[in-house]
Amino acid sequence: MILVVDGLNRDRFTSLLDEMFQLRARVFRDRLGWDVQVRDGREIDMFDDLDPAYLLLLDENMNVVGCNRMLQTTGPHMLSDVFDDILCGQPPLRSATVWENTRFCVDTERLKRPGSSKTVSYATCELMVGILEYGRDSGISDVISVIDPLMDRVLKRSDNAPYDYIGQTVQMGKTKAMAALNDCTDERIDRVRRFAGITGEVFLDEDEVADAIAAIESVKHLPMDLQNYCDAQIADATTPQEREAAIALQRTLSDLYSSPARCDA
Amino acid sequence: MELIDLAGTPEGQRDYVAHLKRLCHAAGVEYATYAASNPLTGTMHAFTTYPDAWKNHYMERGLHNLDPALNAAARSVAPVDWSRLTRAEGFDQVFAESSDFGMPTRGLTVPVRGPLGETGLLCVCASMPQREWQSLKRNIMGDLLTNAVHLHDTVMNSDPLMKTLRKPNLSVREIEILKWIAAGKTQQDVGDILMISHRTVEVHLRSIREKLCTISTPQAVGRAVSLGIVPPG
Repeated sequence: MILVVDGLNRDRFTSLLDEMFQLRARVFRDRLGWDVQVRDGREIDMFDDLDPAYLLLLDENMNVVGCNRMLQTTGPHMLSDVFDDILCGQPPLRSATVWENTRFCVDTERLKRPGSSKTVSYATCELMVGILEYGRDSGISDVISVIDPLMDRVLKRSDNAPYDYIGQTVQMGKTKAMAALNDCTDERIDRVRRFAGITGEVFLDEDEVADAIAAIESVKHLPMDLQNYCDAQIADATTPQEREAAIALQRTLSDLYSSPARCDA
Repeated sequence: MELIDLAGTPEGQRDYVAHLKRLCHAAGVEYATYAASNPLTGTMHAFTTYPDAWKNHYMERGLHNLDPALNAAARSVAPVDWSRLTRAEGFDQVFAESSDFGMPTRGLTVPVRGPLGETGLLCVCASMPQREWQSLKRNIMGDLLTNAVHLHDTVMNSDPLMKTLRKPNLSVREIEILKWIAAGKTQQDVGDILMISHRTVEVHLRSIREKLCTISTPQAVGRAVSLGIVPPG
């Protein structure tokens, strides 16, 4: 599921953004070998200071397993600046209804681990559906994405082939980069959803994510044996009622341990 | 909704409030406001169709410094429904006071980011049931974005220095497409001639119109000819 983080709510999700910057360092520097600035294991550039909109693909445990970054093409964005190789030095498209999508990636390592509930292909489709629907719902008609050839192949295989490319494919680090055009029409969204079998809402409510993160954080206060006990109780629950009761117990215990005042008393 | 043209009116005679009123009518909303500051001079540009009582109160109390529909919403990439602002600073005060004046509480702010990093804001609001508001928003969102950029570009270009810095910068492909359109070819023809998809032609034409600060393609052709970008046909 996807959480939208932008200038309005980024203060609430700093830990998720931090995870995202680390994922970007692993993907764009380590895997693709792009010339990106990495500090303390985090890839952050000047466009991250412009309050972009991020889509964060989260797994059940609120880990970031995919991300992207969107900017308006009417203002400063990557194609107007750092990616001008791709455009052969030509000025980029500028339109109120076209957004730029960059740093689009999924965490293939994590998704390929045993026990991962999603495949790389499904996760990529889910993130793409999120991008297209977020665009469509914001009045956007088309998205121009800076991607590598592998991502391009994944899009093509997912019934989501770009309808065109702008400029040329250029060598970038260990791989190449290109600028692809995708429309945010219902027709395309339906196609990708059908391909991946995605039904229902892909977006998460930000309050629910904030609560879930707080719950995960609070469990960290529990001593290891109690944490294991709670995990086992939740895992062994055979009915929804039992599961709820086990979660409630975990929450109560966490509250006790996370509040020093009460521990002292 | 239709796109409302500002390009036809000579600079000195532009009536932005009347323009916003036409925009309200076309979009089916009650009030509209535009605000931006010139990044070079710091001059504030603000126009609104709000009734005088609310406008005066707003100015006297300096609510623009507090209003999350301007300040928080300016940090968004996507248009911001005001229902998303309830947690933002200033929301309780500004929205309580606006409802005392009988102002609508359903609203949308469209942030426009300009090439010099400046942000222009177009706000629209209306009183109507939630479901109606959702469907209205869906219908007008795309055109509202295009209108907002056109308005912002026109206001920014009214400053001579800004106009120089924001000179239209068309790509070779855009000029190529525009030349064929000027020669009387349809979008379909141009796609076939250049062997690109029709949607690519459409996206480029949209970009061309916006770069030249025009609403229609024929106007863009006229503007391009007068700027010497495309030879007269």
